[in-house]
Amino acid sequence: MKLSCLQENLAKGLSIVGRAVATRSTLPVLSNILLATDESRLKLSATNLEISVNCWVGANVTEEGAITVPARLLTDFVNSLPPERIDLSLIARTQTLNLRCGRYEANIKGIDAQEFPIILVPEEDKASQFATADLAKMIDRVVFAAATDESRPVLTGVHTELTPQGVTFAAADSYRLSVVSSPIPKAPAERISIIIPARALQELRRISGEAESVTMLVSSARNQVFFRMPEVELISQLVEGTFPDYRQIIPTTYNTRMVATTADLLQALRMAAIFARDAANIVRLQILPNEGGMGRLIVSATSAEHGDNVSELDVTVEGQPIEIAFNVRYLLDALEVIDTAQVALETRDPTSPGVIKPVGGQDFVHIIMPMHIAR
Amino acid sequence: MWTTIGHEWAIAALERAIAARRVPHALLFTGPAHVGKTHLAREFAAALQCEGAAPPCGECEACRRVQKGTHPDVRLVEPEGDHIKIGQIRNLQYELSLSPVQGAWRVCLLTDFHTATPEAANAFLKTLEEPPAHAVIILTALDAGLLLPTILSRCQVFALRPVPARRIAQALMERWGAPEERAETLARLSAGAVGWAIYAWEHPEVLAERQERLRELEALLTASRGERLQAAERYSKHPALNEIIGLWQTWWRDVLLECAGCEDLITHADHHEALRRIARLWSLPAAEAALRSTENALDQLEHNANARLVLEVMFLSWQPLAA
Repeated sequence: MKLSCLQENLAKGLSIVGRAVATRSTLPVLSNILLATDESRLKLSATNLEISVNCWVGANVTEEGAITVPARLLTDFVNSLPPERIDLSLIARTQTLNLRCGRYEANIKGIDAQEFPIILVPEEDKASQFATADLAKMIDRVVFAAATDESRPVLTGVHTELTPQGVTFAAADSYRLSVVSSPIPKAPAERISIIIPARALQELRRISGEAESVTMLVSSARNQVFFRMPEVELISQLVEGTFPDYRQIIPTTYNTRMVATTADLLQALRMAAIFARDAANIVRLQILPNEGGMGRLIVSATSAEHGDNVSELDVTVEGQPIEIAFNVRYLLDALEVIDTAQVALETRDPTSPGVIKPVGGQDFVHIIMPMHIAR
Repeated sequence: MWTTIGHEWAIAALERAIAARRVPHALLFTGPAHVGKTHLAREFAAALQCEGAAPPCGECEACRRVQKGTHPDVRLVEPEGDHIKIGQIRNLQYELSLSPVQGAWRVCLLTDFHTATPEAANAFLKTLEEPPAHAVIILTALDAGLLLPTILSRCQVFALRPVPARRIAQALMERWGAPEERAETLARLSAGAVGWAIYAWEHPEVLAERQERLRELEALLTASRGERLQAAERYSKHPALNEIIGLWQTWWRDVLLECAGCEDLITHADHHEALRRIARLWSLPAAEAALRSTENALDQLEHNANARLVLEVMFLSWQPLAA
């Protein structure tokens, strides 16, 4: 293997694949990055057997070949080189990669490329296409609700349903549920329902920045999902199992509906969060209707040790007065991803879930279980 | 082609399961150390992943990767230090929930599961009972009795027995090209532990050391009291003391058999002359007493008795042999 490429390009490629490198693994080859020539480009690959990322870097290839080298070592070295041309060559006998850039040189010992797991990419027939900006927005709205605790693996994933009408993502960690749906430029002809690890979607969000659109493919065995962008490819294993039937949980009726200005509500909640920190993050919302559909919202948080905080907001209220408590972190997580000027909170009673929806958008629903408050 | 030596019944059962597409979701291989549990388990994993016509073909990419331990869908979990710990089980559970990367199955092989801490074993129960559809879990353990009954009831158990000496000798001759006499000796000495026999064939120093130890034992029998006490002090500092006494125990067993006239059952066939000589001079009860003394010594050492005292008692109890 013999080729040359630019330092900036190689460094960028390495940062794209870098996160997929396994940190704690039983297979030593997984903490390496695979470098392989692919026609007139250099292909970089990394996998942790859950997420795999391939990235192509423009290069001047004079001799074909492939090698895997330790990711940390290669990345740190390349990042510290000046922005000039790098010459890479493989010494096949010792499986050593020689890098030369200006007056700097390094030899990195590698592992045979044959040891690297092969990840097959399926044919492009059942593809669906997303606009990157929309996809990023949808990912932001659901991934935070996925469970981080691995005791119920299905909840660490994001339920993804593709229909000819569009896509629906849903994530839940048994305290909250986020559902977002949207039409997409190109949808598959048949219904596909899979669970994608939340980590894979977060990674996709990170590396899809420059691409205009993302093509998604689901392998026919339903065990892998592929996201293809120009020069970059992300492949993720799917979580096996049955996702809870979340549609049943979404309440259809309410006794109280409040509409507030998103920015004002966020500000009041952020303030309350400071006091709620020591009190299990409990924040109380008192919704008090007045004449003519107007009303007040009183947001309060009390810390037994440190004091309390009360904020009052003018809101529109429909229905009964109510006092309900939530985990303020969950409320903030949801409100922070809402981009409409106004937001609605619907609920039936202090023990029923609260439903948060952006006003003027039908595509996002967030549900939070209330906290019990002693009276 | 299966390369496991012996255990034909287990291989047949596993082959039937694969052919009928009724692979058990959890299997447990039990048996003494070095009897071939892990080898069989790994070969079964290869058979599940094999892309060849007659799994496990041993030649396809998948088989080779499983044997080398680099197959992405076959995960090996070994005790970390002395135990399998709960953290290892938790990581494994998440990995198992993901779909396989290359093959049709995600196989995880947990060796020496009897070393699992109770927390780890209990944390594994849920997964073991209802693993994802594509998962196969294989456990190995020295004995089923060492596992929690709740683990046991969730696995299909294959109790592997020591492999017959003839079978081991044959395999050593055919596959490793060992000369017949050496193969017979190793097979007898291995007590059915295939792995030990192969190791001893590949590492001739194992047998050389055994010769040395037996020679020392014979020398002790003609030694004076003073020499015996010195020997006790020397041996008490030996790191592999238990193994040495274990070896001597098998020697006394042979003497006992020789005294009783059961020549064909003896293990140390290559020392037949020496055994016969001692048997002529000793009576059956004396041989039995010597065998018991080694047994007692091992037992006492396990209970943390002073090694030198234990050895002194044992050495002095052996009847001096007139030179």
